[in-house]
Amino acid sequence: MNIHTDPLGAAGLAFYSKISASISHEIKNSLAVINESAGYLEDVTLMTRKGVPLDPDRLGALASTMLKQVQRTNTIIKNMNRLAHSLDEDFKLVDVNELMDLMAHLSERTVVTKGFRISVTPADTPVAVISHPFFLENLIWLMVNFAMTVCGESKTIGMAASKAPTGAEICFSGLDRLTEENFQDFLAQDAGMLVGALNAACHGAADKAMMTLSLSGDIHHPEAVQKK
Amino acid sequence: MRILLVDDEKEFVSTLAERLSLRDIEADWVTSAKEAEKIVDTRHYDLVVLDVKMPQMGGRQLKQILEKKQPGIKTIYLTGHGSEEDYEAGSAEAAYYLMKPININDLIDKIKIALAREAI
Repeated sequence: MNIHTDPLGAAGLAFYSKISASISHEIKNSLAVINESAGYLEDVTLMTRKGVPLDPDRLGALASTMLKQVQRTNTIIKNMNRLAHSLDEDFKLVDVNELMDLMAHLSERTVVTKGFRISVTPADTPVAVISHPFFLENLIWLMVNFAMTVCGESKTIGMAASKAPTGAEICFSGLDRLTEENFQDFLAQDAGMLVGALNAACHGAADKAMMTLSLSGDIHHPEAVQKK
Repeated sequence: MRILLVDDEKEFVSTLAERLSLRDIEADWVTSAKEAEKIVDTRHYDLVVLDVKMPQMGGRQLKQILEKKQPGIKTIYLTGHGSEEDYEAGSAEAAYYLMKPININDLIDKIKIALAREAI
């Protein structure tokens, strides 16, 4: 892959690398908790052999901690798997609510580490469009990252999906420092290329502190999502 | 010797502190940079173990603040993040840069060596 001959592929690979690094960090954190809990059990075992009485409540808490971490890791890996499989097909029916939820989870560590949070509002009813899931995820990731640079004092980025006459919309709000200039700069980079490749449209409204991604697609009925 | 552990993973940092205390190492723990700043104002620590990546403020920035409050305090970085760039920068700044999950005996060895050295 060459950034000059295949800029879309290069953008996708950069996105995949960032997400993989974030996921591996999350898994390591979870393993560290399990490791300390198991280590503590080992310590307790040694102490019990020396006659120190067992504390069943502490043991129960350790078991609960480990089970919680296994569940956490399982969710992380499930999301990683969903991302990996989004490259299986090119254009396909994409459930916008599901995809938005996946991206909120995958972005969480990055967003929280930078002191922000994402507030997700799914569309009231299932909404789907024909799109390329991987590159749509890539675009949303870039939009989340850009949103952090223009977010207001609340440090909260709203991400809401809705149906639109020609498909679906994803609206990012709370962007108090959004200007026409920084929005155009953002679109001049990989995001603009992805918007074009996905046959989508992206609009910034500095006066409303929001930007909207419009996804065109004929299929946006609840039945279409249910039949998927 | 008194150690302060700072990591946003509460279950990790509290259990690690408990395990250190079983080994006769007095260890307090907090889950944010803000709490670390507060506790350092009230107690003296010989060494601080900092998570590099934490919400709001990471370990590298916190290290500078804690050093101003308690000059000479030693630092060991902990991270789950393994980028080469972070490793190089972290290793240059702190006594040690350890990757999670850690071996407690390794950590104790590093704590002892760091405390035996001149301030870094």
